[in-house]
Amino acid sequence: MSTQPATQMVTLTIDGKEVTVPRGTLIIRAAEQLGIEIPRFCEHPYLSPAGACRQCYVEIEGQPKLVTSCTVQVAPGMIVRTQNTNETVEEAQVANLEFLLLNHPLDCPVCDRGGECPLQDQALSFGPGESRYRDAKRVYPKPIPLSPLVNLDRERCVLCTRCTRFCDEISGDRFLEMYDRGGWERVAIAAGEDFRSPFSGNTIQICPVGALTSETYRFAARPFDLSSADTVCPHCSAGCNLRVDVRRGEVVRHLARDNGDVNEAWNCDKGRFAYRFPDDPGRITTPLIRDRGLEPASFGEVLTWVAQRCRGARVGFLTGGRLMDEDYYALSKLARTVVGTNDLDHRRDEGSTAEEHAAAHPMAVTYDDVEHAKVILVVGLDAEQEVPILHLRLRKAVTHGARIVVVHPRRTRLHDVAEHVLCRPGEEPVLLDRARRGEGPLAGVLEELRSRGDEALVLAGPRLASGSGMAAASVWELATGLGARFQYVTRRANDRGALIAGVHPRLLPGGRPFDVAGARAEVEAIWGPIMTEGPGRTSRGILEAAAAGDLDVLFLIGVDPLTDHPDAALARRALDNVPVKVVQSLELGSLESFADAFLPAAAYAEKDGHLTTWEGRGQRIYPARPVQGISRPDWEIFAGLAAAMGGDLGFDTLEELHDEMGRLLAPTQATWERNVTTELAGSPEIPEGSVHLFTYPLLVDEGRLVERADELKLALGDPAFVELHTADASSFGVVDGAHAVVRTDAGEVELPVRVTDHIAPGAAFVPFNNPGLRASTLLSGSFDTIATIEAVATSDEGSRTEEVSA
Amino acid sequence: MTATFEPRLTRSWDEPEAIGLDGYVRRGGYDALRAALGMTSEAIVETVKESGLRGRGGAGFPTGMKWGFVPRDTGKPTYVVVNYDESEPGTCNNRELVEREPHRLLEGTAIAALAIGCRTAFIYIRGEYLWQSIVLERAIREAYDAGFLGTGIAGSDTDLDVVLHRGAGAYICGEETALLNSLEGLRGQPRLRPPFPAVEGLYASPTVINNVETLMNVPDIITKGVGWFREMGTEKSPGTKLVTISGKVERPGNYEVPLGTPFRVVLEELAGGVLGGKQLKAWTPGGSSTPMLTAEHVDVGLDYESLAGAGSMLGTAAIMVMDETDCVVDAASRMIRFYAVESCGKCTPCREGGWWATRVMDRIEHGYGRDDDIPVMQDLGKNVLFRAFCALADGTASVINSSLKHFRDEYEEHVRLGACPLKVDHRPPVGASVGAAS
Repeated sequence: MSTQPATQMVTLTIDGKEVTVPRGTLIIRAAEQLGIEIPRFCEHPYLSPAGACRQCYVEIEGQPKLVTSCTVQVAPGMIVRTQNTNETVEEAQVANLEFLLLNHPLDCPVCDRGGECPLQDQALSFGPGESRYRDAKRVYPKPIPLSPLVNLDRERCVLCTRCTRFCDEISGDRFLEMYDRGGWERVAIAAGEDFRSPFSGNTIQICPVGALTSETYRFAARPFDLSSADTVCPHCSAGCNLRVDVRRGEVVRHLARDNGDVNEAWNCDKGRFAYRFPDDPGRITTPLIRDRGLEPASFGEVLTWVAQRCRGARVGFLTGGRLMDEDYYALSKLARTVVGTNDLDHRRDEGSTAEEHAAAHPMAVTYDDVEHAKVILVVGLDAEQEVPILHLRLRKAVTHGARIVVVHPRRTRLHDVAEHVLCRPGEEPVLLDRARRGEGPLAGVLEELRSRGDEALVLAGPRLASGSGMAAASVWELATGLGARFQYVTRRANDRGALIAGVHPRLLPGGRPFDVAGARAEVEAIWGPIMTEGPGRTSRGILEAAAAGDLDVLFLIGVDPLTDHPDAALARRALDNVPVKVVQSLELGSLESFADAFLPAAAYAEKDGHLTTWEGRGQRIYPARPVQGISRPDWEIFAGLAAAMGGDLGFDTLEELHDEMGRLLAPTQATWERNVTTELAGSPEIPEGSVHLFTYPLLVDEGRLVERADELKLALGDPAFVELHTADASSFGVVDGAHAVVRTDAGEVELPVRVTDHIAPGAAFVPFNNPGLRASTLLSGSFDTIATIEAVATSDEGSRTEEVSA
Repeated sequence: MTATFEPRLTRSWDEPEAIGLDGYVRRGGYDALRAALGMTSEAIVETVKESGLRGRGGAGFPTGMKWGFVPRDTGKPTYVVVNYDESEPGTCNNRELVEREPHRLLEGTAIAALAIGCRTAFIYIRGEYLWQSIVLERAIREAYDAGFLGTGIAGSDTDLDVVLHRGAGAYICGEETALLNSLEGLRGQPRLRPPFPAVEGLYASPTVINNVETLMNVPDIITKGVGWFREMGTEKSPGTKLVTISGKVERPGNYEVPLGTPFRVVLEELAGGVLGGKQLKAWTPGGSSTPMLTAEHVDVGLDYESLAGAGSMLGTAAIMVMDETDCVVDAASRMIRFYAVESCGKCTPCREGGWWATRVMDRIEHGYGRDDDIPVMQDLGKNVLFRAFCALADGTASVINSSLKHFRDEYEEHVRLGACPLKVDHRPPVGASVGAAS
């Protein structure tokens, strides 16, 4: 009964039990498959073997010395004995633990790691019990803040090098290094340097002792105080699997959970440290209704009030990108079957056919595909800032030999492993079109994409959907034409789920286009008749209608168009001119003066449901605590509203909702693509003396989900700036660090200037929402625009001249 | 064994002009390189294999076999790296070899390069060898000027560059993979094997790493032949070895002897016996990291096999002699401190074992030893030996184990007296009149 495995298999014996594993497997991994746990500290499945801690000794029959099972690969017929069956091995492990404990402080009772510490666990389970060491222990100053987020306690460190290997091999942000030697070897960072990596928190989690501790969790809880739940990160579309820890009802920690298909064992610092927003003092957990002012009311009262105003009215729904699949599905159905509108949108741009294609094709490209691709073209995506874990997987692909080419106006943090072609925003399709004809800097990589078949990927970032969305569509067409696999990478935690559920003016659930009769009929078979006619309005269309008085009720669900929409002025006019504004969110924020009714929603830590990654992978999240106050999960609010309007969404429980959703969202073979011709977006013209200003959100900004994550902002946040190419800077007469006025049709702002060669000439970048600038105030509907730059004379320039002359 | 001994590596040591290129060439220098240029690389490797030349750096690995491991079809360059990080306590034979005849090293290096198709060779010299690095720099410049290095060496169409790299003073960088890291500008810590340097060494390319003395044997093997080479030494350890003898002897220094020469010959005939006619107490045959032996091992032959039989190793053939007045605990304590300080810190048994042993030994030597310290030392030796990432910690363990094995009573005496017994001896006995002549 022999099968033909793709990889060569090796059979060996460990503790008398046979196991067959792929060639190249480490002994420690093979033992795991038999359920044999060999103790270890330095070994980590996603890091290269180090063999440093020496805890995982085993005996291999025929070899005179014990070996470390974390560094030796299996061989056919190998006979391995672990501590379970060999006394020498057991003695060696106990002796090694004694060595590790010599200088380790006995401060477990005050150590953050106490109770979940591999060293403590192993010392308790097989350690020597009493120390024979009678001399003075090593002492160091402690703690040493490596950054506002990470503290180092060198006395506890067992020098396993997991943290330094993580920095070298995974994030590539090589801040940590071992320093000095012998007994004084220690983890160190360059003097004056901060551990400014957006992945720094991972080193805390993989530290096998309490040497690296989290500033936000330091002395905050004991493991036995915590109640935990498995969830998925609420921040971006990477979909990192998380464990959320709650102490006395308050979220105190996020840890990355292992999921080899998604985040491996990692997450980014935003996902790790920005968890206080559900407990923000500004959070509102009671329904409110505007009578004399905004006053608390019962859910029934508010829903009845809202339902009355929706009946027969012109209604529009705007949502953010971080609700659950269930919420979006319920909203999609509510709008179409009860309220009777297609004016619903989760996006902030005009979208494109690329996106519609993506909605119908989940998992067209996955993390695994990225890891094993041979050539990857990344267009319009700053992966580290927008989808950090995808950034890590791209880096991993390079270690497997992939070629990565990034087409973007700014050089991204992939700069050390990928080729970059810098171009002005909007110019990407033009460059690609030239490459298709064998011209320009991308001709070579296009040829490679064409020849690599399944191992060729094209990833298009959310920025390409800005404006007309033509750029994304052109890139999609190009990829399809080359035979490469395409993925439109959404940014927010559940943009993709919203797209799939049909929170979209032209799409029904499952990517079914509203205006394709067959597709629509499939939905109607389950929903009953859809009341609406024709495609609805996009977010911009909805805001324009509101501003023009063509809308009676505007729902703002987990979204604040004043900040989020790339046209703050339009958003303001819309709010001023629509009679009824219904806000459904965690808090009101800047919408407080506009809201007529407020429906309190549950936060991610209180929800049961699914989030969908950029790949289109739905992942379950579980509540870590009860909903706060009388807030409700969004889908329940939608169901309640339907009932208040005399309709019925057809589900009262999550199970019923899942049943129905499953039928519409199950992957289908059908393709519903419409025959749309894309025009090649032309390279935008810039008037003489102007720059092409573009913006996208950086990882750590002033977004509402990083509220109260002060340490994170201190570590990774930056005040707003404008980034210019050296040549442009000199033509505008500005220097690095000086201030300049950025002026557009919509507004103007004074910002410090960063001058660099790592941006395309003619382009200027501002972060979307960093302290000092809401970029939406500079924009008129698209995330890029034409701007002028004007130098501002600073007073200290004068004083500097004086100093020189003196 | 050989009838008449003729110096090989040391034959020009009496002639100061051998340090320069002209003097070296006048004595037949670079003839071997010319001869090797007329041979195929396979033939060179084969000749060295047949000669039975074994690495002189300590491990004694057959040199020809090492060269033969280097794959030639990887599409990567190949490298020869000369390990001149001579750091083992008591060892200074490489130092004098280069001081007196630097070109022989360059010639041997060039032949090794031919054998493996290398175009760039590196000499890694320990940081403290400043004078030797100046000597080598000058020799390299002379060899370039004379056309023995650079483009088209010795009139051939083969190119060879030699780069001299000074270390920064770390014993561990003599360990070949740590040396490669250091050479690449990385932290001097050993690498995992496999991949072995022969396959993935310097800059992940096939690399041969040889000791200075090993390479200096090569020119003669090429010109004088395998038979000549095997005339001296033993069947399994052919050739001569430069022995460094130091400590309590009348004439310490470097002496060339055929491999297999009994220690007694080196001690009594060459080094003039124990200093002041005192009794031999203990000696290390190959640097402080090799297990120490005693007076009863005085007739053991100095070659790889005989010393292994006696429970020690040839190592770098750096013999350190202790006499009856020397305290073994004190000596062991100093040696252990060396290995603790020089531990790179990477792995636990070496880092923590050395740390612990240093403290316990210090206490014992200074009279603060306790009854349970000796069992602790015994356990330490056992738990460090062969448990570490590289062989450095085996040095720590060897000192502990061999000193305990042969001189356990001396340890016990320290603990019992609460003082070093040898220092106690120098104190006047109670009641004796101070300064009285016997």
